[in-house]
Amino acid sequence: MKSFTHKQRALGVVLCLSLSFTALAGRLVDLQVFRHSELSGVAESNREQVVHRQGRRGEIRDCNGNLLANSQSVRIVAADPSITISNAPAIAQQLAPLLKMDPASLQAKLAGQGKYVRLKTKIDEDTITQIKALKIKGLVLEDQLLRTYPNGPLASHILGFVDNEHRGVQGIESGLEEYLQGLAGYEVIERDRKGREIRALRDEEIGPRDGFNVVLTIDQVIQHIAETELDKAMAEFHPQAGVIIVMRPKTGEILAMSSRPTFDPNTPGAAPADARRNRCVSDVAEPGSTFKIVVASGALNEGLVTLDDRFDCENGAWLYAGRILHDAHPYGMLSVMEILFKSSNIGAAKIAVTRLGAPRLYSYIRGFGFGRKTGVALPGEVSGIAHPLAKWNPLSISRIPMGHEIAATPMQMLMAMNAISNGGRLMKPQIIKSIVDDKNVPLMTYRPQQVGQPITPRASILMAAALRKVPTPEGTAPKAAVKGYDVAGKTGTAEKIENGQYVKKYYSSFIGYLPAADPEISILVSLDNPAGGAYYGGSVAGPVFRGVAEKVTQYLAIPPQFAEPEEKKVAQL
Amino acid sequence: MRRNRKREPLRFGTVARSLITCVSIAAIGVGYVWQKNQIYRLGDEIKKREAALLATEKRNTMLAAQLAQLKSPAWLEARCQQYGLGLVAPKETQTIRLLEPGPEWDTRFLPPVRPAAQTKPRLVAAR
Repeated sequence: MKSFTHKQRALGVVLCLSLSFTALAGRLVDLQVFRHSELSGVAESNREQVVHRQGRRGEIRDCNGNLLANSQSVRIVAADPSITISNAPAIAQQLAPLLKMDPASLQAKLAGQGKYVRLKTKIDEDTITQIKALKIKGLVLEDQLLRTYPNGPLASHILGFVDNEHRGVQGIESGLEEYLQGLAGYEVIERDRKGREIRALRDEEIGPRDGFNVVLTIDQVIQHIAETELDKAMAEFHPQAGVIIVMRPKTGEILAMSSRPTFDPNTPGAAPADARRNRCVSDVAEPGSTFKIVVASGALNEGLVTLDDRFDCENGAWLYAGRILHDAHPYGMLSVMEILFKSSNIGAAKIAVTRLGAPRLYSYIRGFGFGRKTGVALPGEVSGIAHPLAKWNPLSISRIPMGHEIAATPMQMLMAMNAISNGGRLMKPQIIKSIVDDKNVPLMTYRPQQVGQPITPRASILMAAALRKVPTPEGTAPKAAVKGYDVAGKTGTAEKIENGQYVKKYYSSFIGYLPAADPEISILVSLDNPAGGAYYGGSVAGPVFRGVAEKVTQYLAIPPQFAEPEEKKVAQL
Repeated sequence: MRRNRKREPLRFGTVARSLITCVSIAAIGVGYVWQKNQIYRLGDEIKKREAALLATEKRNTMLAAQLAQLKSPAWLEARCQQYGLGLVAPKETQTIRLLEPGPEWDTRFLPPVRPAAQTKPRLVAAR
C-alpha cells in the first residue's frame, strides 16, 4: 500500500474542497445569474399572491331616495366531501338544524363525489358563528354577492335583474350596466405559514371602486298604486296581460310603469320568460280609437277643420274603397268634437280622407313619434310599425285614423297624448333622474328633453276641449271621470289580430291626463283581451284609470278644480 | 510599542466613544427590530379594522335592504290591516288647503309705514 506524504494528503484535501466549492459556486452562478429571472418569478409567486377585489354594484333608488335594488354580501356553506365523507352522518345531524335542511339530503351531499359541494347559500351571520363554533373539518365558508330587491315584484320590469355573474340582464340593470357595475381592484399580498395575510408586507393596493347609484324618476308609492290597481283589474276582468303607465306630461318623467304578468327579480328564474317582458315598451298592438287624437289634432293644427265642422257619419256604415267601415253606434251628422268624444270611426276616417290627406296624415304620424323608438332608457324597446306612405293601400287612409294598419307601444301612445296635453311639445320619456356616487354627489343629472313639436299650442287647447268631453255621460268613458278634477282622455278598443285575421278579442285602453287645463299627470291603462263580456275601453280601462288617478292626485296633493258643495263636505267630516 | 501601550492610561474619551458606538449600534439594531415589530402590529391592527369595516359595510347594506322592505308601501299597508289601525289617506274633503303666500303676504302683518314728514328743505348758505 502506497503511503502518501503529509503534504500530498493535505493537497488532496485542498483539491477536494476546492472542487466542491467550485461546484457550489458554479451552481450558485447558475441559479443566481443565468436562471435569475425564471427563479425569482417562481419565488415571488410562491411568496406573493394577487387578490382581486370586486367593487360593489351600485344601488337603484326611486325619486325620493327609497332603495329599490342593492347588493349584499351573503355567506355560503360548502364542503369538501373527500374530508367529510368519513363522518358524514354525524356532521349532517349537527348541521341540518342550523341550515334548516333535511339531514338525509345533507348527508348525501357530504358523502358525495368530488372536492367541492355547495350546501346552502344566503346564510346569515349568526348561523355562520354557530357553524364556526362546531369546528367541523372539511367545511368551507365563502362570501357571495347577492342582488336584492327589497320590494319584491314592485317595478320589476323597470329594474330588471342580474345573472349569476352579477351582470344586468334586463331593465335598468342591463341598460345602465356600465354605471352600476363597479371596477375591480387588486392587492399583492404575502401570506404566513398558516395562509393568513401578513398585512405589513402588502405590496400593491389598488382599491375597488363601487358602482354608481342610479336614481330613477319612478316614485315607489305611485308605482305601488299603479300595480295595486292593475292587480285589481286583472282579478276583475281576467285579461291576458295589462299595463299602466303614469307620467308627468310636462317633463316626460315616468312616475310608474307596471306590467302584468309580472315576476320577482329576486327569483327571476321562477317566472316564465313571457312574464319578464316589459310590455310597456316591447309589445306593439294596433292602438284603436286612441289613435284618433293624431288625425284630429293634425287637421286642427293645419286649420283644415274646426271643432264645430260637421261630418256625415253615414248612420254607422260607410263604403270606401270597396270595403264598408262601421261605427260601434250609428251616428248621423257629427261635429269634430263629437267625433272625438263619441269615437266615430267613420268621422275620423272622413277627416283624414276629405281634409287632411295621406301625406299630411303620415307626417303627423311621424311627428308624434310613431314608427321610431321613444328613446326611453330601457332595453328592449321596439319602434312599432308605421308603414311608409309608399306602402299604403287605397284603404289605409280610412283605416289608420281609427288605429288600424299601425302598431304602437303603450309608451308611444302615451307620449303622443302627452304632446297634446303639453301645448304640442313632444317630450322624451325620462326614467333616469340622475346618476350619483356613493356620497350622493351627482355625476349626471338628466333634464327634460323636448324632441318635437307636432302641433301648435292652439291645436293642443282645441284638442283638450274635445277630449274633456270623453269622460262625461255624453262621451265614451263616463267611468273614467275623477270627482273634483277636470279630466281629458280618449278611449280605445282595438280588435286583436291572430294569424293575420281580426278576431273577437280586444285591447281595451284609456289614455288620459288631469287637470286638463294644466296637466300634472297622464295615465295610460291598457288591458289585453279582458274576459267577462265587457271589453270597451271606457267600461274596462276607464274605471282603472279613475282608480289610479284618484289615488295619485291625493298622493301628489294636486288641488281639485271643482269644489264639492259645502253641506256635503260638512256631512263627510 | 506594546509595552508603551500597556503603560498608557485608559482614556475616558476613547472608552466613551467606543461605548457610544456600541450602544448606538445596539440601539439601531433594537430600534430596527422594535420598528419592524410595530409595523407588523400596525399591519395586524389595520387588517382587523379592515375586516371590521367590511363587516360593518355588509351589515349596513343588509340593514338598508331591510329598512327599504319595512318602508315599502305594500308592507305598510299590510301592517295597517294587521293591526286594524284604520289608517287611510285623508279625503279631499278632509283637507284644508292654504294659499301659498304671495307678495301681499309680507306686507299684511307689518306695521303701517308712516309717510315721511313733510319738511321744508333747509337752505344752507354757501360760504
